[in-house]
Amino acid sequence: MSETSRPEAAFVLLLMQATFWLLAGVSALPFVLGGEPYMLLLAAFSMALAALGVWSGVGLVRRRGWARRTVLVVEWICLAGTLLQLALPIGANRGPVSLLVNLVLPAALILLLRGRSMRARFGTGSRRAA
Amino acid sequence: MYDIAPDHAIGLLAGLIAAPLAILAVRLSRMHRALPGTVQIACVLMAVTAVIHLALIPHHLGEDPITAVLFLGNGIAFLALAAAPRWRWWRLASSAMLVATILGYLFYVDFRVEGPDQVGLATKLVEFAALGMVLVPVRDERPMRDRSWYWALLATGLPLLLLVSGSGVWVEALAHPDTRHVHAGALLQSTNSVPSAEQQAAATQLYEQTAAAIAPYEDWHVAWAAGYRPAGSVDMPSTHWFNKAYEKGPVMDPRHPQGLVYANTHHGPVLLGAMFQMPRIGQFGPDPGGPLTAWHQHENICFSIVGLEFSLMTPYATCPVGAIDLTAPAMLHVWIVDNPTGGPFAVDIDPKVVAALDRT
Repeated sequence: MSETSRPEAAFVLLLMQATFWLLAGVSALPFVLGGEPYMLLLAAFSMALAALGVWSGVGLVRRRGWARRTVLVVEWICLAGTLLQLALPIGANRGPVSLLVNLVLPAALILLLRGRSMRARFGTGSRRAA
Repeated sequence: MYDIAPDHAIGLLAGLIAAPLAILAVRLSRMHRALPGTVQIACVLMAVTAVIHLALIPHHLGEDPITAVLFLGNGIAFLALAAAPRWRWWRLASSAMLVATILGYLFYVDFRVEGPDQVGLATKLVEFAALGMVLVPVRDERPMRDRSWYWALLATGLPLLLLVSGSGVWVEALAHPDTRHVHAGALLQSTNSVPSAEQQAAATQLYEQTAAAIAPYEDWHVAWAAGYRPAGSVDMPSTHWFNKAYEKGPVMDPRHPQGLVYANTHHGPVLLGAMFQMPRIGQFGPDPGGPLTAWHQHENICFSIVGLEFSLMTPYATCPVGAIDLTAPAMLHVWIVDNPTGGPFAVDIDPKVVAALDRT
């Protein structure tokens, strides 16, 4: 089976996505100081997700099956959440940056990692698959 | 920051047209097809950013020829790099060019040569992705770059550059909002600039009627009995209280304001003023006082159902995980306490006023 660089491409995109989550988490912290205690929970969750993103990215480069499955699940959730947000009449941002980050990025990650051939390259998640 | 500068719209259009053409060109090129997918993606992304830069030249040519020349150089260089991925120094040249372009934009924004907008930020995202694709090592590559230190450098360098750029753009946007964005996320209604005598009189009348109508709510128990409820944390200096019964109207009725604003003082809630709100997003209300009573609409706010709390969306259009991005319908405040910095209809109450009430 010839090598593919799709996992490496996905690693780059995951690294970017993790940074966006990290910045979102950090951006909530001033509001915690301003008297919004629950924002700390969201900040922590965002940072944890950022860490999971990087960890999964490393797993992808090492061709771990769990990493591929984790990323696909997270990205499908992100995509569904974004589509729901865009469908609801709540005035969600529809600018090019928002569409790139919240729609194109998860969709690109799903496209890069989906399919039978990619599943075969990642194996079942054990170290032997690498 | 969340708008598309009208002069930049052409760049966005050009980028959208260029993307499928660049993909097609790379797929048809035998030389490109033989290269790793990451390199192919980088070539597509560099071609897109090249076209965006080239499309923006005519606009800049008249008013800023230096930028136009830089864009020309950028466009030609990126197109050349996209076309010649087999060049020996391709990775070095591409990454240097991409980093220089990203930092150049940050310089332009932070030194206020240009305001941040969606086209600029989207182009930077394309360039960040291209940079990552250029630098990421792939398997079976010669010469081999798959070293731990290289991966560590990539995994810290790219996010760091993203964070620095995002923060730099954000700080600038918050520190120097344009005239209609009075503070981050609040878009002011367009009005005439100087109020006429009639507008002045109408604003005074609105103020007096509202102040008289909400006077009973100085006792928050009365407000509670009338159906007003806190719509957020009461640990903040002030909290908006909303009345669901008035959500759909009437519009700007001093006797039935949609909201009340209370300062959260150590001796209980102290009434600061009223808030009128439109029933729908994207609709400003009647503006009898012209510039004195301009409505404002909070856009790109991150709302968390947990605790009913708010934060602001980042320049990369993300909210903390669990919060949703929304826009609040347009609103107009009427402050019945003295608000020296902005007056009785200002978007915000002066924090010093709230702090002073807490001290009394």
